[in-house]
Amino acid sequence: MMSAYLDLELDEASSEDVRAHLSVCLDCVGVCKDLANLIDDSRPDEDGPLPPNPQALWLRINNIIEGEVNAEIAKENKAKVAELAAAATKGRWHLSFPQLASALFGIALVSSILTFIGVRHYVQPNDDFAQSSEPTVVDRVLGKLGLVETPQQLRKRKMEEREAAIAYWDKRVQLRRGQWDAHLRDAFDRNLNEINQAVSEYSLILEENPQDDLSGEMLDTALNEKMELLREFSEL
Amino acid sequence: MILKLRQLIRLSAIIKTTAIVSVVFFFATFAASESAAQKRFSKLYPAGKNVRLQLTNRSGTVTVEGWDKDQVQISAYLEAPAANIIPQSLSGTILINVVKDNQGRNEVGNVNFTVKVPYTSSVDIETRVGNLNVSNVRGGLVRANISSEGDITLTNIGASNVAAENVIGDIFFDGEIQNGGNYRFVSMRGNINVRIPFNAGFKLVATAPSTRNISLGAFSGGNMNVVSDGRRVIGKNGDGAATLTVTNQRGSIALIRR
Repeated sequence: MMSAYLDLELDEASSEDVRAHLSVCLDCVGVCKDLANLIDDSRPDEDGPLPPNPQALWLRINNIIEGEVNAEIAKENKAKVAELAAAATKGRWHLSFPQLASALFGIALVSSILTFIGVRHYVQPNDDFAQSSEPTVVDRVLGKLGLVETPQQLRKRKMEEREAAIAYWDKRVQLRRGQWDAHLRDAFDRNLNEINQAVSEYSLILEENPQDDLSGEMLDTALNEKMELLREFSEL
Repeated sequence: MILKLRQLIRLSAIIKTTAIVSVVFFFATFAASESAAQKRFSKLYPAGKNVRLQLTNRSGTVTVEGWDKDQVQISAYLEAPAANIIPQSLSGTILINVVKDNQGRNEVGNVNFTVKVPYTSSVDIETRVGNLNVSNVRGGLVRANISSEGDITLTNIGASNVAAENVIGDIFFDGEIQNGGNYRFVSMRGNINVRIPFNAGFKLVATAPSTRNISLGAFSGGNMNVVSDGRRVIGKNGDGAATLTVTNQRGSIALIRR
């Protein structure tokens, strides 16, 4: 039948059936391709009527098949849309009042939490960990969830940042201090020592009582002083 | 007898002459060595009433005084090895930066400045080591910053923004508190004394965590509260329109009625 189809010997209805089959059967597509090549190879002489170009022949068949396949897909999509519309109009997606209320409550809860976190991050001064007060229950819960930093975590992070900056300026000072006169060197050492004493004093207090905000604030101030001292003397 | 008397008179005259010559020689030598050790710098700039003085010194004393002239007069004594000073006048600001002008130099002597500015000037001065004095200034800003040690003395100040900061040394402020003004005094070790009018309106945060020595004098009363185990005093005086922040990490604080 495939051979007759390729020789254009089939009537329109049979040809339609073959094309329909070829649109879904890859094996027959292969057979059809092979037969087309065979017909082409078996042409007896060059002087005879022009042989059908197998490539062109296959392309023609393929175009027809693709056209039919696309039409089939479009038909299927249309059917699905119609089915969905029908389902919607039949009320399969309608929610009951408790379901709707639960959904709205869930959305409200999530958006409230996100707004609360956003506002807290916006309002809280980021630069001064010393201003932190005793954590509220909400803070503790959010801290446990990892959504906000606890005052201790914030203090630790700020300390690490300050220490990195201090280490940088200290290196610069070490490079310069050999060129200072004795008077300047003594003044620098005396003042740095004073600040270091304050830093260790507040660090000790905070180890014993991490909630002592005032000591946290003073430690912050002392570290700032140290950084400023190092930075300003590194210019000399 | 007469001969001996004449010899004695001559001897006395020689001794006198020698003594006078020695004294003259001594003072001449001393003066020469002094002038070799110290150089003098002086410059005068015409200025508007709202001029801003921005001075950064390396070491030495800086004294700024307000005067009733539209001029800025800079005088400086430079100790050996003498520093370079290159003042600039840029759109209403007089800039002097001894640190920048002497960067890369190994040794630089003290520079002791005396600067006279119009009363209504803003003054922003700093030094790495040394004392800072400002008097008779009532412009928008008075800022005095010592990176390490030295005393800060601010007298007869009428500025609305005042800041004074050092590490080791005393801070003394004597002036007015302007409505809505901001006054900040910070030290690591020393005494901070703030002398202000009794009717001044300000919110106070005074912190002396180590000594807990906070004396409010005439300002102690119903609106002042001691908090954090006596390490801090917060409160309000009058209408509380200005902000007064005093922090002394390891020293004392005193408010004095003006």
